[in-house]
Parts: sequence; structure tokens; C-alpha cells
Amino acid sequence: MSEQRRYFQEIPLGEEYESPGRTVTESDLVIFSGLSGDYNVLHTDAEFMKQSIFGERIAHGLLCLAIQSGLFNRAATEYATLGLAGLRWKFKAPVKIGDTIRLRAKVAAKKDLDKPDRGLVTIERTIVNQRDEVVQQGETDLIVEKRR
Amino acid sequence: MNVKGTYFEDIEVDKIRETPAITVTETHVSLYLGLTREPAAAPADVPAFLVLCMSIGLGWRVKEPPLAVLAFVGLDWHIVREVRVGDTVHGRSRILSKRPRRDGGFVVDERSLIDQHGEVVQQGKFTFLVAKRKEVPA
Repeated sequence: MSEQRRYFQEIPLGEEYESPGRTVTESDLVIFSGLSGDYNVLHTDAEFMKQSIFGERIAHGLLCLAIQSGLFNRAATEYATLGLAGLRWKFKAPVKIGDTIRLRAKVAAKKDLDKPDRGLVTIERTIVNQRDEVVQQGETDLIVEKRR
Repeated sequence: MNVKGTYFEDIEVDKIRETPAITVTETHVSLYLGLTREPAAAPADVPAFLVLCMSIGLGWRVKEPPLAVLAFVGLDWHIVREVRVGDTVHGRSRILSKRPRRDGGFVVDERSLIDQHGEVVQQGKFTFLVAKRKEVPA
């Protein structure tokens, strides 16, 4: 593990991050359908979706949730993360093929846990598209190792 | 044009549904890491979101037609324990509540993911906007 991993004590409350952009492609949708087994017409039937309110296929909500998790790692200096404890998440607007999404994140809360070697870091996260519209928003709770 | 699905009117509150299971493999992890560029802490670790993503497809392998989802509204989710490569998970779901709107209705689905030992690995609530029978999904 790299020495740049930051422990619980080294993550300042209120610190903000902005990730690079990532264009969501048709390949992403196809791979994700295969990986997840979610072949909902929303993501897989271009002809059907022409007649929908979206006018075309839209990305799986969980695909963008997964992509933002990778974007977070490209935006923030790596944490000494032990695991994810949970999340509260809202899907606000569709992401279409060709849209470019970015993550804005902020350290919203830090708290101690029962085990003395770890703490909980809550990150506020907003995914925006190329027009700066919010497409997804929520909070994740990360379990992060403490420096002894 | 319409799609076969379980519509808002057809949803039974409190009915428990179990899905078939899936074994999480190194292939799943590799594809997922390539797609998301989310690093895994150790090679045998399975990213929590991968398990969540794989659980969505399990609902498509039950006999009942899938929910006629207009939109995935939100999710409140807890990771209870880590999943390792080689573990086999399945889902159990129960509709907690349904609330009609003029177009479709909100449905809260309580889900648990359970491993081969019968232990809950992840659980929480999904909220969907589901179409009424006359409406075309999406």
C-alpha cells in the first residue's frame, strides 16, 4: 500500500473534492447489463426507448453509482479505507449515452466507532453532468483505519 | 407498445420473494474494476457495490415478471459483512409500502442479500416509481 494513504485522523472535516469527468458510453451500459444481469428495456432496447419520455436508452442508476466510486478514488488522496458501511442515495435525473459525469464530494462528518482502531467518515456526494445538472446525490459512510 | 411487468396495482405488500443465487467470481471483480476503476483493498475482496449491482439482476431470474419500473428513486443501504470471491449470494425481498401517484406509484422494497451460510451480507430499502397498468414504462 502506498504511503500516501490517509488515516482517519488525517482526513479534515469539510475537505472538498472534484473528480475528472467520465463520459458514459454505450459499452458501459452493455458491460454493466452483462455484469449485473439487469436487462431492463430502459438500458437495452433503443427502439422502445425512442417512444419513452427519455427518447433514448438511459444508464443504469447503479452503473453511475459504481462509476462515481471510482471517480472518488481519482479525486481524493487515498484513504486507509477498511470498508463501506452504508449509503443513502437519490437518483435525480437520467444519464444518457454520451453524457459526461463528474463527482463533487465533501467530508461531511467523522465519528468514532466502538472498535478503537477505526472511525466512520461520511462523504456527501453529488454527481453532475456536462450541463452541471445534478443527476445523483447522497452520502456514503466509509470505515477508515486510525493511525495508532 | 407495452412490456410485460408487475404493475403498481399488482404489487402485494408484505409478500416475500426469494431469488436464485449467484457465485461471485474473480471475473466479476475484474470486469467491475475495469468498468469503474474502483480499487480493491486485497485481491480476494469484492467491492460492496459490485455485490449490490449483481443483486439487481437476480430479480430478473424469478418467475414473476419484473417490476414495471419508471424510475429508480433512491436507496438506503447497509453493508453488514464483507463478501469474498467464491461466495454465493441470493436476495430476499419484501414490499414494505406502496403509495399511488397520478402517474404510477412509489414502492418501497426491503431487500437482504444472503450468503451461502445464510448470513445477511447487505440489506436496505430501494424506492421505485412503478407504472400503473395502463402506462408505458419509461
